[in-house]
Amino acid sequence: MLLRNLFAGAILLLLSFNSYGQYNTLHIPDTLSGTTFNLNIRDTFVQFRPGNQTITAGINGAFWGPTLFLNKGDSVYMNVHNFHNDTTTLHWHGMHLPAVMDGGPHQTIPPGTIWQPYWKVTNNAATFWYHPHLHMKTEEQLAAGLGGFIIIRDAVEAALPLPRTYGVDDLPLVLTSRSFDASNAFIHVSPYGDYMLVNGTMNPQVSLPKQYVRLRILNAELERGYNLGFSDNRTFYVIGNDGGLLDAPVPVTRVKLLVGERVEILVNLGSDAIGSGVDLEAFNAGMPFGFPGSEPSTTGAFGSLLNNINFPILHINVAAATAGAITALPAVLVTNTYLTAADATVTRTLNVTDGTPGGPGGPGTPFYFDHTPFALATINKTVDLNTVEMWSVTNNNVFGHSFHIHDIQFKILSRSSGPVNSYESGWKDTYYLGVNETVTFVAKFSDYADDIHPFMYHCHMAPHEDGGLMGQFVVKDATGVATTKQPGDFTIYPNPANNRVYVLLADPAMQVYYITITNAVGRTMYMLPRPQLAGGIDVSNFAPGVYLMQLTDEQTKKTIVKRFVKE
Amino acid sequence: MKGRFYKGAILLLLAAPVITLLGFDKISNKMISDFSLRNTDSRYVSLKDYPDAKGFIIVFTCNHCPFAKLYPPRLNDLNQKYKPLGVPLLAISSTDTIVYEEDTYPMMVAKAKKEHFNFPYLFDEMQAVAKNFQAQKTPHAFVIWKENGRWEVKYSGAIDDNGAEPDKVKNRYAANAVDALLGGKEVPIKETKSIGCQINFRPLPASPKER
Ligand SMILES: [Cu+2]
Repeated sequence: MLLRNLFAGAILLLLSFNSYGQYNTLHIPDTLSGTTFNLNIRDTFVQFRPGNQTITAGINGAFWGPTLFLNKGDSVYMNVHNFHNDTTTLHWHGMHLPAVMDGGPHQTIPPGTIWQPYWKVTNNAATFWYHPHLHMKTEEQLAAGLGGFIIIRDAVEAALPLPRTYGVDDLPLVLTSRSFDASNAFIHVSPYGDYMLVNGTMNPQVSLPKQYVRLRILNAELERGYNLGFSDNRTFYVIGNDGGLLDAPVPVTRVKLLVGERVEILVNLGSDAIGSGVDLEAFNAGMPFGFPGSEPSTTGAFGSLLNNINFPILHINVAAATAGAITALPAVLVTNTYLTAADATVTRTLNVTDGTPGGPGGPGTPFYFDHTPFALATINKTVDLNTVEMWSVTNNNVFGHSFHIHDIQFKILSRSSGPVNSYESGWKDTYYLGVNETVTFVAKFSDYADDIHPFMYHCHMAPHEDGGLMGQFVVKDATGVATTKQPGDFTIYPNPANNRVYVLLADPAMQVYYITITNAVGRTMYMLPRPQLAGGIDVSNFAPGVYLMQLTDEQTKKTIVKRFVKE
Repeated sequence: MKGRFYKGAILLLLAAPVITLLGFDKISNKMISDFSLRNTDSRYVSLKDYPDAKGFIIVFTCNHCPFAKLYPPRLNDLNQKYKPLGVPLLAISSTDTIVYEEDTYPMMVAKAKKEHFNFPYLFDEMQAVAKNFQAQKTPHAFVIWKENGRWEVKYSGAIDDNGAEPDKVKNRYAANAVDALLGGKEVPIKETKSIGCQINFRPLPASPKER
């Protein structure tokens, strides 16, 4: 079944990628909806170019994963099965959730393992994404094709007259680029690819109806920024940022979109003739120094055929309007109540430091925050639960960055380079931090205290992040008193087990923080953060043998290991 | 072009020429020692079981890899053509079976039967033979030849240059190497990059306490 889906995906991509040098039909990622999501990470391949196929990694497919539709208010359950032959993680970018579910560098999923995080969706309707976040391997695993969109729906958004027919007048567009060697394998001499890929399609075109259409654009590059616009310089309207809709549409002709950022736009095709065409374009020629991809070189460590030029991203063919077309721009969208500087009781500063110039001859040395390379064992900041904080991030350094922080959506208060762009006035989780710039934002750290699992803040350019431009913070509940209790004991029954095992806690009030089950040869079978144990744990697929269950209790964060036998 | 640290680039820039040189050097000199691995018929197979063999086509492959799954008919064809000429094909599965249930021995037995393998499909449980060959991906083909009673690697890399579209293959690297050797000629292309799923060599067992 899984295999069939995989091959169906590969064949689909085969067809859509086959004709190199002319337009290919834009691939629209499959969708998954409901409250339980099965995500299978695998090694696979794609026919990107004539000749041999390119080895990639995919989630339920060949390159890039399915779009997950979540409803605000639902509790969602993820079954992440890592069939990939390397350890990975899956991070839910932009999502407000417990740190132990976040999928950052600490929530590693070994090969062969099922990881089952779950959370209640509290984010507003917007476009999010999921991607690997394994320290030092993020670039490699992103480059292979791992990642996918998350679209959150809510009642407020649903009541607005906006396009929302997925793949028809509401399109997800993930922007990235890759380079190939003579055997069509991906190569990463430079983090800037030579060939644009939109939803994994090279040279894409799409037919869109003659009406207002909504584009949800994600920069999932390894490093390149995009200065987005349309080939005829038409005005378009930004309706949403990373974390939700704006108060009202913002008219623009250009939007800078850095790695990790999303923007939702409306573009009016209602005045275009049926059969006419227009391109979504990257106006990257002549971008200022420090904008990633402004480098002039076409080869070498930071070279690319797409550097410092304008290039088409997506060719749009205008087709007949659909029934129920959106033909007018809404004057207002939602009422946001933003935090202000006055709400903040804690201020922090971060500086981008170190990092020496690279060049065609080779790369420089890594960037850090405040001269401190990222270390998994070091907690850099401790935030008190429910505090409103103001962070100022300064980059008096040699190159631009894309700053991202987990757990929260923030409001940008100021840019030292000038006014905050009107198109980034909403809830954000990622922004462009230019050279010689300080950007200040304000955010509230609510709901999820955990003094073990940290959240990350980092540059989202994969080489920078892997190089150590990352830090971590825990959110601490200052009212909670640390106890010196003994770790909570438990028994497993039935033992031997057949289909399900149940966990009997010695103290019924005890809460379980984490359960890991490994088999006798050391394969991790399950990683279960805060498992719901009433229904037991399904072991029906386990081979007969001895298994180890490691249980960590919530209060002491101490772990006890017990054996059980599967018959 | 300023101020970026790019680990991958460093590795590629420094490592690529080195690997190529070393690899090339190794290919023309590398000797392979005999092994004894269990076939799907439960018998053990060694090179010395083929006293008349001039050489072998050794293909490291596996059950799970989507790219390896494209090749079984071509492996049957290669063995059918070259075994009577004294160059039998041996397939070896060396992937980490702790990670891939699909690559375990019983699943190999089932695969060999289902795909009507006309060649041995050997289980390299300890990954020792793959390490000896320095096999990288599944599939990774080697052509080895008997020189003064020893087995010398004459070709290492891809089986051919198109996995999913056999009718569009332009260069049958492994077959061309065998043809050249049978004709007493120099192998035209001695080394290519094998393409497929990385063969990850199993690390030392992790402590069960580790998360
Ligand atoms: Cu950066």
